[in-house]
Amino acid sequence: MPLYVLQRLGLMLVTLFAIVTLTFFLMHAVPGGPFVSERMLAPEIEAALNAKFGLSDPIWVQYLNYLRSIMMFDLGPSFKYPGVSVNQMIADGLPVTLRTGLLAVICVIALGVPMGIVAALNRNKWPDTAVMMVATMGVAIPSYVIATVLLYVFALRLGWVPTFGLDDWRGYILPVLALSGFWVSFVARLSRSSLLETLDQDYMTTARAKGLKPGQVLFKHGLRNSLIPVVTVLGPVTANLLTGSFVIEQIFALPGIGRHFVLSITNRDYTAIMGITIFYAALLMVMILIVDLLYLWLDPRIKLGKQA
Amino acid sequence: MSDDTNIPPVMWEKLDRTAGAAEVITAPSLTYWQDVRRRLWANKPAVVSIAFIILLILSAIFGPMLSPFSYYEQNLKLANIPPVFETYRVTDSTGAETRFFLNASNFNLYEVDNSGHIVGIIRGERKDMLKKSQAFQFGDKIVVLDYSSLPARLVAPDGAVLQPEGWQWNMTYLFGTDQLGRDVLVRQLYGARISLTVAFVATLVNFFIGIFYGGIAGYIGGKTDAVMMRIVEIISTIPLTLYVILLMVVLDSGLISIVVAIGSVFWVDMARMVRGQILMLKQQDYVAAARTMGAGTGRILTKHLLPNSIGPILVTLTMLIPSAIFIESFMSFIGLGVTPPMASWGTLTSEAVETLRAYPHQLFFPAAAISLTMFAFNFLGDGLRDALDPRMRK
Repeated sequence: MPLYVLQRLGLMLVTLFAIVTLTFFLMHAVPGGPFVSERMLAPEIEAALNAKFGLSDPIWVQYLNYLRSIMMFDLGPSFKYPGVSVNQMIADGLPVTLRTGLLAVICVIALGVPMGIVAALNRNKWPDTAVMMVATMGVAIPSYVIATVLLYVFALRLGWVPTFGLDDWRGYILPVLALSGFWVSFVARLSRSSLLETLDQDYMTTARAKGLKPGQVLFKHGLRNSLIPVVTVLGPVTANLLTGSFVIEQIFALPGIGRHFVLSITNRDYTAIMGITIFYAALLMVMILIVDLLYLWLDPRIKLGKQA
Repeated sequence: MSDDTNIPPVMWEKLDRTAGAAEVITAPSLTYWQDVRRRLWANKPAVVSIAFIILLILSAIFGPMLSPFSYYEQNLKLANIPPVFETYRVTDSTGAETRFFLNASNFNLYEVDNSGHIVGIIRGERKDMLKKSQAFQFGDKIVVLDYSSLPARLVAPDGAVLQPEGWQWNMTYLFGTDQLGRDVLVRQLYGARISLTVAFVATLVNFFIGIFYGGIAGYIGGKTDAVMMRIVEIISTIPLTLYVILLMVVLDSGLISIVVAIGSVFWVDMARMVRGQILMLKQQDYVAAARTMGAGTGRILTKHLLPNSIGPILVTLTMLIPSAIFIESFMSFIGLGVTPPMASWGTLTSEAVETLRAYPHQLFFPAAAISLTMFAFNFLGDGLRDALDPRMRK
C-alpha cells in the first residue's frame, strides 16, 4: 500500500512538472509581455515593471525562479490586480467551488444510484422507462442549457430561488442541480446496467435459495457488487464536476475559482492563468488519487499497483 | 418424454438421404458485417439518429449557400423577431388592408404579407411616454398601442380592442432573428458547421493517432508499453478544458485553440481502449498462426488485430465525438470559443441567455440543436454497441 501511494505520488509530481513546464513556456511564447497590451507605458515604467517581476532575466533563470517559488507553494503575484497574489485569488474562490462541487458529488450519489436501482428492479416497467428517459435527456442536454432553463423557470418565472448569489441555502439548489445533471444521469445508467448484470449472477440465486429476505439479498449481495463500477467512475466524475463548474459559476455568477479563471483569460492575466491551471491540475490529481485509494479499500479483490 | 404420443405412420416422411443433404445450409449465410447491419437497421432510434446526422451534415454544408442571409448581416430594424407570431389585420375606409403583428416584448409593429413574409417595421407616431401608448396610422384609420398594462393591447379608434386573426409562421426568418437582427437559422447552420468541424477533427485524430498509438503500445508491450501508457496517463489527468485555455493564451482565436487542443490530446481514450483490445487479441491462436506463416508486424497489426477491434473502436468513437462537440459549445458558451460575429451553438445559447427575460424563445433553437445532436450520437452509439456485440445488449 505505501509503495503504491508513493508510486502514484511520484507520477503526480512528474505530471505536475510537465504541466508547469508546458504552461511556463506557452506563456512566454506569447508575443509581447504582460504590460505591452493596453495603454502605451513609458519605457522606463515598463522596464521598472519588468525588473520588479523579474521579466528582464534570461528565460531559464525565470523558469528556475518560478519552479522554486512553486515548490514553496507561492504562485506569484497577479499582473492585472496589483497587490493581489494568485494564492489569494485561489483562497477566495476555493471554498465556493469546493462546496458546490462536493454538493454536486453528493447529489450524483444520492440521486443517481437510487434511480439506477429503482430502474433495474422494475426492469421494463414504467419506473424503468421513466428513469431511462430522464437519464437519456440528462446525458444529451448540456449543463448550460439545463442551468438556463432551471434559472428561467424557477428563478425568473416562479421566483422560488434567487437568480444568483449564495446568500442562503436556496441559492445552492439550482447550481448544484445543473452541475450534477449530466453525472446523475450517467451514474443512473451505469448503476442500472451493473445491477441488472449482478441480479443474473448465480450467487444471487443462492442467496435467495438459502432464504434471505429480499432486502438482505439486494443490499448485502446485489448492491455491494454492482456498485463497484460506480465507485470507479467517481474519480473522473469529481474531476469533471470541478472543471464543469466554469460554466455554472459563469451562469449563476458564483465567485468560485472557475470564474476567476475565465476572467483571468479574458484579462490576459498570465500569472493567474498559470497559477490556477497548476492548482487545478494538482487538485484534480489529488481527488483522483483519493477516490482510487477508496476504491482499493472497498474492493479487496483489486490488487495493489495493478490497473483494473 | 411420454409414450402415448400417437402419430399415424402416414404423417412420417422419409428424409432424402442423398449425400450431403444434411449439410446444406438453408438459411442465407450472413457475414459478421451483414449481421451487424441487419441488427442496426432493426434498431429504430439508431436509424433515426443516422438519418438526423446525415441531414445535419448536408444542411450544414449546403444550408448557408441556399439562404438569402449571411451569418453576420445585421438588420437592426428587424431585431428580435419571433419565429411564430399572432397577426392582426386593419382595413381603412378605402379598403386597403394591412396585415401586421405585434412584438409583445419591444412594442413594435411589423407588417407582414399574406404568406407570412415580413415587409418591414411600421412607423408610428410619437410615443406617449406618460400614457404609455403609441398611435399607428393605417390609411385614415388610427390604431393605438396601449402598453400601460401588460399584455399590451391594440385599441381601435372606437375603443374596441383588436383581436388577432391567428398564428402565422415567420416565412422570411424561419427561426426568427436575434438581438442584432441576424437570421437565426443561418447562424444555427454555421454553428452546425463549427460543431461538425470539431467532430471531424476528433474523428481524424482518434483514427490516426489514437488507434496507432494504442495499437503499437499494446502490440509491442513490455517497457515500450509502460512508457507509452505513462505518457497517456499524464495527458489524461488534465481535463481538455485546461489545455484549451492554455492554448488560448498563445493562439488568439478560441476556435483554433479548441481544434488544436482536440487535435493534440483527444486521442488518449481511444489509445487506451485499442491497447486493451490488442493486448487481448494478440494472444489469440490465429495471430500465432499468422506469425508462424511468416507475417510481419505490420501485416498482423493491420490485417488481423485492427479489423478485429473495429467494433469497440466505432463505439468509442460515437461516444467521443459528442464530448468533443460538447467541449466546443461549453467553451463558446463561457465566451472562450469562437469570436463574434461567428456563431456556434454555444455562443448562440449564451446570446439567448442575455435576452432570456424578454425573448425566452431565442433559447429554444440552439438548445434544441445541440441536444438533438447529442441524442442522435448517444442513440447511434448505443445502437452500434448492441449491433456489434449482441452479448452486451441489456
